[in-house]
Order: sequence, then C-alpha cells, then structure tokens
Amino acid sequence: MDGAGNQRVVTPEYMFFEAPRTRSYITGSEAANEAVRRANVDIAIAYPITPQSETMQQVGELYGEGYLKDYYRAEDEVGAFSAISGASRTGVRCLTASSGPGLMRGLEVIASWPGHRLPLVFLIMCRAINAPLSIQPDNLELGYMLLTGNIVLHAENQQDFFDYTLAGFVISEKCEVTLPVAVAVDGFFVTHARGWVEMPSAELKLPGRDGYSEAVPMIDNENPPIRIARDAPIQKSNFISYQMHAAWQQEVHAAQERARPWVARYLDELIEVTNPEAETMIVASGSAVSQSREALRRAEEMGTKLGLIKIKSLRPFPREELRQACRNAKHIIVPEFNCAGWLNREVRATLYGCADLHIADGPRVFGGITMPTEMILEWACPGKQGR
Amino acid sequence: MALRTLQVAPGFMRFMPKEYQDLVENGPFGRQVKLSDVGTFKEILEEHPMCEGCAMAFFIRLALMGLPNPEHTIMVGTAGCGRMALSQAAIPFVYGNYCDTNGVATGLKRGLAIRFPEQDKDVVVMAGDGGIADIGFSQVMHSWFRKEKFTTVMLDNEVYGNTGGQESGMTCRGTMVKMAPRGKQFDKIDMLGLARTAGVAYIARLTPANPSRVVSTIRKAVLVARKIGPSYVQVYTSCNIEYSIPADKVLDDARQVEKERYGYLEIVSEEAGAYLESVAAEGGEGR
Amino acid sequence: MAEMDPCSIGPGPAGLLPPSAASCGVVLPRKGEGLVEGRIVGEQAALEVMARELLTRKHPTVFPGPLVLWDWRDGVSPKAAAVLELAEEIPGVQIIPMPDYRPIYPKIDPEAVINPCHPNLTIWHNKIEVCVFVGVHCHYANITLRMIRAGTNCYTVTLCHSAGHEDSMASLPFCGAEQVRALTGTIRRLKRQGLRPLHGEARGIRLTGAQQAVQEGLVWQHGDGA
Repeated sequence: MDGAGNQRVVTPEYMFFEAPRTRSYITGSEAANEAVRRANVDIAIAYPITPQSETMQQVGELYGEGYLKDYYRAEDEVGAFSAISGASRTGVRCLTASSGPGLMRGLEVIASWPGHRLPLVFLIMCRAINAPLSIQPDNLELGYMLLTGNIVLHAENQQDFFDYTLAGFVISEKCEVTLPVAVAVDGFFVTHARGWVEMPSAELKLPGRDGYSEAVPMIDNENPPIRIARDAPIQKSNFISYQMHAAWQQEVHAAQERARPWVARYLDELIEVTNPEAETMIVASGSAVSQSREALRRAEEMGTKLGLIKIKSLRPFPREELRQACRNAKHIIVPEFNCAGWLNREVRATLYGCADLHIADGPRVFGGITMPTEMILEWACPGKQGR
Repeated sequence: MALRTLQVAPGFMRFMPKEYQDLVENGPFGRQVKLSDVGTFKEILEEHPMCEGCAMAFFIRLALMGLPNPEHTIMVGTAGCGRMALSQAAIPFVYGNYCDTNGVATGLKRGLAIRFPEQDKDVVVMAGDGGIADIGFSQVMHSWFRKEKFTTVMLDNEVYGNTGGQESGMTCRGTMVKMAPRGKQFDKIDMLGLARTAGVAYIARLTPANPSRVVSTIRKAVLVARKIGPSYVQVYTSCNIEYSIPADKVLDDARQVEKERYGYLEIVSEEAGAYLESVAAEGGEGR
Repeated sequence: MAEMDPCSIGPGPAGLLPPSAASCGVVLPRKGEGLVEGRIVGEQAALEVMARELLTRKHPTVFPGPLVLWDWRDGVSPKAAAVLELAEEIPGVQIIPMPDYRPIYPKIDPEAVINPCHPNLTIWHNKIEVCVFVGVHCHYANITLRMIRAGTNCYTVTLCHSAGHEDSMASLPFCGAEQVRALTGTIRRLKRQGLRPLHGEARGIRLTGAQQAVQEGLVWQHGDGA
C-alpha cells in the first residue's frame, strides 16, 4: 500500500490556515495519529507503555498502509530514543512517543536531543511516575521536561493534540530552531476520550524534511564538512572547553527563543485569554484548562467573573504574554495534575516583581483523578461555591 | 555524490590547511588503498591525542584503512578513549550518550536507507569494552537480534581506560584493577558466543599484531554488514597505561596475548561466506 | 566591558560569557532586512555598516565555512567566486577557513584555521578586529560568534545563508551570491566616495604565515612539534 503516494504535498500555511476542514468525533490518540498521517513522517520508533501505546500502534498501521517509510518496536525507551536520534541526524522526519515512567527511563537521551540539535516530534501521553505504581493520568514528568531544552507544547484536548503535533514537525525543522518538539497531552482524559476534531483532508501532507536547511550538517556524507564531529566531545578540562560547552548550552536556549514566532504563528499565540479584565485569573495548561472553562461557566452563573489564561507553550514559556495578561489580576490560582506544582513555580518566577497580586499554591490533584470543578471554584472564589 | 564534498570550491585551495590539501589530492576516497601503500596516501586518521604507544590508536588507524568506501562511511562511538582518535578522523563521527551506540547506529542506518536507497552507506560502531559489553549491552544485543545491517567493533582494552582503570565485564578473571579490589570475580564476558547465538553474520576476534589482517577483517566485516547482516569484530587493544606496558613493547604484548589467549578467530555464516567469496571472485575487494 | 543596553550587540570583550543576544530580546531580521548591533535595519543600511567596518578596522579577515569552501552542490561555485571577489576589495584582508567543526586535537594552528570550539584563539593570534563569516552552519556560527563577543574586540559580520545571527554585530539573512556581491558593490562605492581604508596601501589577499609556508612548499606539518 502506498498511502503517502496518494497524498498531495501542500505548504504548512495552506495545511494550517486555508485547507477546508471537516469534523470527526475521535479520541486523542486517534487525533495524534491523524496528524502523523498528514505530516509526511519518514520513520517512527515505538516502545509500548500505557497510555501512549494506542497512538504508536496506530502509527504502525500507518506504516503498514505506506504513510511511513520505516517503523519498528524498540527494545526499550533508551533504545527507541537513541535510535530516533540516529535517524534524525540523517535528515529524515522522525517521531517517537512515551509516557511517565518510560519518559523517565529515557530522560538522559531526551535531554541530549536539543544539544545534538535534533529535529523530531516526541509525543508525551502523561502518566503518573512515582511509586507506588500507577497507570493513572498525572503530568509530573513535564516538570522534568522543562529543564531539557526541548520545545514543550501542552495540548488541552483532542483538537490541540492534532494541531500541535502537526505544527510540531514544522517548528522543529526551522533552521533557527532545529530542536526536538515535545507535544504533551494528559493521558486518558484526552488520549482515550473522544472529542470533536476539525481536520484538513487526509489527502494532504506537509512537505518533506529538508535537512540541508537546518542549523547543523546532516550525517549523510553528502553535505560538508567531510569531517564532522557534530556532537563535539570536548574533553579537556580547561577554560576553552568550558566556554565552548557553555556557549553551546546557551545556543539551545537561544534556539528556544527563536521558536517563539513560529509557535505563535502555528498555535495562534502562546497563550489564550478568556475574560482578561477579571480580578481572579486561573492559569492552566493541558486538560486542566477544560475543567477551568467549566469553572468559569459555573462562576458566571453565580455572578462571579473569573479569568482564564491557557498556557499552550511551556517551552518557550510565554513570559511577556503572561505578565500582560495578569496586569489587572489581584488573585491567581494554578490548577494542576501533579503534586509538584511545576506550572505554579513557572508562574511565580514569571510574575515575581511584575505585579501586586497573590498567587495561590494550588489547587492540585495527582495520581489519577479528574480535577473537580468544585475544587477550582473553592480556590478561585472561597466561600462562594454553590453546591 | 559524496565525493563532491571532497572538492574544494574554485579559488579556495590555496587558503586550505595542508592536511586538507593532502586529503583532497591524496586521500583514500573513491579508491581502494592497501596497507602496503602506506606513506603514499593521506590517511583518514593521522594526528590524534591518544597516549604514546597506544595500541587502540594504532588499531583505529589500520581499521580506517580497511573501510571499503570511507567516503560513504559513518563512525559511531561513545565515551572512552577511542572517540578521541575517531573525532579527528576525516569521516563523519557520531558521539551520542552513554550506552547508545547501537541504537544510534540503527537509526542512522535506517535513515540513510530511506534517503539513499540506491547507495550503500556503511555504519560502523567503534566503542570500548565497557561501551559494548557493559552499559551498551542491551542495545548491542538487540541490534543483533533485529539483524541491523551495520558493524560493531569492540576496542577491548579489558578495562575502563578513560575513567582511570576500573574493572569492566571484559577484564580477565582475577585481575586486580580499580573497583575490583580483590581481583575480578567472574570471567570475561563471552561476547563472541553471544554474537553467534544472536545470529551475527560475521564474527572475528583478533589483535593488532598482524596489521594486514586488521585491514582485511574490517573490510570483510563492513561488506557483510552491507549486504548480509550484522557483523562483530572484537579486538584486543591493550591499555599500556593501566596495564603498565612500555610504549615500545605494546606490539610485543599484542603478539604475546594473541599467542597465549586471544588468538585469531573468525566465525562466518554460510551466507556471509558465500557473499565474501563472490566479492573476492569479482576483484578481491573482500579479501 | 559591561554594556548598558543588553540589546546592544557591539564588539567585546563582553565578559566571561555574555548571555546570548536572543535571550536578551534581540530578534532575527526577515528577508530584506538586516541586523546591526541588535537592531533591525534595512538591507542596504546593514550593507553600509558592514562595508564601513570592514574597511576601517584592523586586520580584516574572511572566514569561509564548509558550505562555501566545499563544492558540494550546484550553486556553491558562484557564491565562492563572489566571496573571493569581496575579499579582493578589502585592503589587507586575509582568508582563514573553517573547513570543519571538530574540536581539533592536539592543538590548532591559528594561522591555518578558525574552529568553532575555540574561535577566539584565531582572532587573538592574528589580532583580527573585523571579520566576515560566510557559509557556516548556523549552530556553529552562533557559538563561534558568542565566544568572539565574549573574549575579543572583533567586529563580526555575518552573511548568513539562512535566518541570520543575533550575536553578530552586523548580520544579513538569506544571503546568496547576489547579497555577497551587493556588499562588494557597497565597499566599492564607499571607496569611490572617498572612504580611505585603514589598510589602504595593501593590495590583494594577504596569505597567513601558514598559508605562505604551504604555498612555498616548505616542510610544514600541521601541529608540528606538538
């Protein structure tokens, strides 16, 4: 079967902004798979872990149908992430995915992708990582991802998961970016639940990767230089090697900065603000945004206007946007699906010294339950929530 | 084609360093060189920061001469001494993370096969005994089980040389080295036996005592990996620092170790043997 | 040398290692624009600054990178010719290549190459106070430019084939042979208009000591004596 051969290459601009879309009622896993179908992916490498497996086994079916050129099940996450890094170095379009414990297992490799300047898309279907063992949703692993140098986008729902995944490939391969893009979504709540997703025709696909237009040479012996220690093993302990390593690290973070305009373009800005004039703002990412929307609706019924700031991009983090959006706020709450409160820390660090407001240290649920709207309301309008 | 990357743009040759002028005019690219030609061509590796008398550096230099098509070859390494020489070689070298050589090589090989279906691109992992038999063991074995078409070369100095001389799985039983304060308690890992069990198509064990055999072994290993399946070469490359071998006695040591315990061993699958015969019949490239 | 405005990207030394210009808010120019010391300007304005700096600072040097040094695909030769033509217009100029990106062991010859792992060595040794990078992959160009800004007083000009460089003092994005020739043209015009080059008496491209030794067939080995 030659699924990809029957597709027509269109520009990212046409794919994202102009192509007519039709609505389907599908799971988050299916939405990601449909994005991959249209993304002209060359190779995907999978290793099973719940709740990620569903998408990657569907991607295997895409390979069977001829939409991908290569696909295999690796020996473990370290093997999968190492191999995808090898493939990315050769200039092919790459996909891999994982969840909680698998992500933690592969973290050494994940944290090295940006320094190796490896464009690829890494889907994260979030899941609890702590002992005791749990397969329930919880996005603590994203707290670790924030330190790695990867671009990290956090999808709220099935539609976002489709859009961000497709955009991820394009952002990842921009010359001035040349970084892996992680597209995260809260496991089960989104991956295994259905929602309406508007998608362009499956007969369209993105242009293929052009490795020769990226920030580093491809490892293919077809582009210069003939001598490439691309991943320079500077091993001398002296000022020269310190400075080179430091400049290299800076470059990863500079590349994240350069991704801002592209994230803004393809995700329609890094944040979305509802009720910007509200004194109490909810700042959330991922599926916590959906529960917060419901909290806004319920609060409005009670005569209280709450605001909502949806963070779409965790790296690069929308610093200026958040400061602007919070300029009228007096009170901020940050609902999260993890016990550590990594988004809360980001919000505090961003707003420190910029506004005279109170930032609540929660609310949070972790280990697997859906955040009750009542809980958000308890924190957002203490003493007012109607039961 | 790859040789275009070896052409200097018009007008720039006179500004190029001497080593590059030599590589362009006299390198071993796009042609077969023989060990007996040494001195008449610019080698892929000449300068390197390895220790005086290092057997590993000598082996790497010879192995690079054995590559059938250096202009289409990619080397993969990991932490350890070998990568300090490999990063100076005039062919692409990939250095990733700890343990990842055979995963990275898998991705490289598959990615190159997608982009260049008509052109053989050779991938050669060259890493130490720690990188292959200890931390990288899982990826090595699985790349063999999957029958990935690339070559794995173990630079077996029987110790973690680069970190200062600790015991590795390939250290001989009883040897007193760091982290083995009472001597190593178990035997050298039988990587050749494991390779055979995993169905590796071409397996060889040798020392650098016989340079022309190094060249021909590497050439065979790369050719088999290109067409038949995974190949594995295990070479004794003593660490003259950790084992206190005088620099001028390193090759004597290699000869002695070859004679006493390392030997020369070649295990060739039927299919690989037939292929090498056919290559030899066509022009001797394989022998 | 502390800079008052973090977005002003002037010649260094800027310190141990300054923050990247991108993290200080400097953004890349679009096609048709240039970047001068952290500010977006028109393409022609950028060319004027580049031309003036190249003519009036000490020991101007062209650093061609792998993408223009190696004739790896169609389109390289005309750009390489344009780079040589540009160099010919800069009195006192040298050409020092960046043929690859590996960290060179055991040591580099700073008259023979510039290397992204320690570019400051070449700048210091040759007392280069203005330079042009062309044909360097962006990742390596960026780390190079940051280290030069950190430790040297060199004014860095970049003719980038892609999106340009924030850490360069003057940068032009999406440069092909045409943009290189435009810089050459601007240099010629400034000279015609009376600008006196600092190295006004010098003619042609000056070979470095290492290049002369190679050309004259002297016994010379890279890293000799190391």
